Amino acid sequence: MEFTLLFLAVAVVLLAAWYGSRTLALGLFAATLIACVATYLYHASAVLNLSF
Amino acid sequence: MAPALAVTLNALGLYAIALVLAIAFGAQLILHELPCPLCLLQRIQFALLAVGPVLNVRFGPRPSHYALSLLVATAGAAFAMRQILLHIMPGDPGYGSALLGYHYYSWAFIGFAVAILALAAMLLFDRQFAAGKPLPQIGAFARAAVWLVIALTALNVVATLLECGFAACPDDPKHYELLSFGQ
Repeated sequence: MEFTLLFLAVAVVLLAAWYGSRTLALGLFAATLIACVATYLYHASAVLNLSF
Repeated sequence: MAPALAVTLNALGLYAIALVLAIAFGAQLILHELPCPLCLLQRIQFALLAVGPVLNVRFGPRPSHYALSLLVATAGAAFAMRQILLHIMPGDPGYGSALLGYHYYSWAFIGFAVAILALAAMLLFDRQFAAGKPLPQIGAFARAAVWLVIALTALNVVATLLECGFAACPDDPKHYELLSFGQ
């Protein structure tokens, strides 16, 4: 679910960059990038259950 | 470099991002291999990489727009490197199928490294940032590039929702959560 929301956030940022103000796009971009790094840190520190 | 040429090169960059997203999505459908969480995160970084070029096309080239893409490319390269290191032990088959000898995350690292080099090269040309020059007209070539990336990102929203459903995405996904009724 978190990745769906991140893709959705990126789509919103792209639409804001194309239609909205520059300030809005930059703010949304910063929030999305921080969310991506936070998601990465969560997954990097969680137990990884892989099966090959 | 004139601003108009810089905008054209940014549009070409958007087409390159669209190609990466399309290949990843195509491989997912053709090979029936679902992207893992780290793979998805790398795809998200490729889509987010497009924000800088879109701003350059819309508002004209600015160093800050290139800086946004540099931040994303650096983060994306770090995420890809993390996945490469997860599978670096001898005998580890890696995650998913290899494409032309490299797994998706290896290609992703190469892609982000190329993006960093390309962005640094673009920043070398100061004349595109000259004040007082009128904004270049946005042509059909650039518009199509922007909408192609937005459409592929929207497609990934749907595909990821189908894969992960409304819960946390599994570390090693085997089927689409929302398409596996009764499994």
